[in-house]
Amino acid sequence: MKIIINHSSMQPIYEQIAGQMKAQILKGELLEDTALPSVRMLAKEQRVSALTVKKAYDTLEAEGFITTVHGKGSFVARTNQQMRLEERRKEVENAFELAIQKGKSCGMSREELLDVFQMILEEM
Amino acid sequence: MLKLTNVKKTYKDFELDCSMEVRPGMITGVVGKNGAGKTTTLKAILGLIRLDGGEAKVLGKPVEEMGKAERAQLGIVLADSGFSGYLTIRDLLPMLERMYPKFERDVFLGRCRQFHLPEDKKIKEFSTGMRQKLHVLFALSHDARLLLLDEPTAGMDVLARDEILDMFREYMEEKEGRAMLISSHIAGDLENLCDDIYMIDGGRVIFHEETDVLLGDYALLKMTQEQYQKIDKSHVLRFRKENYGYSCLTDQKAFYLDNYPDVTVENNGIDTLITMMIRGERI
Repeated sequence: MKIIINHSSMQPIYEQIAGQMKAQILKGELLEDTALPSVRMLAKEQRVSALTVKKAYDTLEAEGFITTVHGKGSFVARTNQQMRLEERRKEVENAFELAIQKGKSCGMSREELLDVFQMILEEM
Repeated sequence: MLKLTNVKKTYKDFELDCSMEVRPGMITGVVGKNGAGKTTTLKAILGLIRLDGGEAKVLGKPVEEMGKAERAQLGIVLADSGFSGYLTIRDLLPMLERMYPKFERDVFLGRCRQFHLPEDKKIKEFSTGMRQKLHVLFALSHDARLLLLDEPTAGMDVLARDEILDMFREYMEEKEGRAMLISSHIAGDLENLCDDIYMIDGGRVIFHEETDVLLGDYALLKMTQEQYQKIDKSHVLRFRKENYGYSCLTDQKAFYLDNYPDVTVENNGIDTLITMMIRGERI
């Protein structure tokens, strides 16, 4: 498992860890049932606090990407096709949200935004 | 592991009134400027000073009741104490073995070699950095459950500091349930090591936060006079007048990133935090 943390990024470190692990699970680089390093172990490797890693694991667990067996550690959960699709959808939604925010911040109206959307959709 | 409840100590010109907690498996940091009360707090935990009030519990027992068995489970580095300068590392061994039943002689000597600490040189001939390394290596050598470290990396160069910090991380990973209280004025040390951080000033805890939240949600906002007039200040903890306008400490970075794209938002280190908390003004 390879994780690269950017300490000057505006994204919180636990989100960076969770995000990169999630991407590796979705891409199939981290296979189902793979044992993940313990919280302290990953904290040591990444030189971040253990609570940060714990938060990342908790996030992944809440989203169903990993399971934690008490006393045994954390494992990659079975990701079904449904989950992958949903994840993709969420990414698309986020991209739209970002574009709309940008448009609004420079004063574009709802109609103008829709026009741009239609135009791009037809060009493709 | 460790719990202080309104621990009080009054000196002629200083008053300590401190509550803090270190939980098993956690590395807790203490920061503060010189004379803020860091060392006094550690002394209170060790029972080296008599408390004027409050309660200090170490490994589940009140400090006053701590005996030999509990003390053997503490690993300690204090700023102004150490081994007699007339002894060598080899001279220390029999003493350490008797004082600490779980002293791991071979591990200790192996690490001394790793850090180039000569076994048969008098400790008074060691450099400051070497002496400090010796104290840290010893604190890590007897399976202590709770490490109490006052400025453990003081006087060490960058490389030695890095090695020692990695050793702390290893120590925590090696066995579950160990805990660590560490004070340092080198913020970088604490940022990447501690799970939570207390800030002490004038003998009182003025701030306590998880390091993760500190680095993730806190930020320094830099803005012009005009921006400062207009900005929503409900999440500004402290502000300071600067020559370009104002700098503000916030614990809601995302709020300002989302709503004020023109304002400069800087990730917040512990150093800025200390300066802003102590020198900055409240809204």
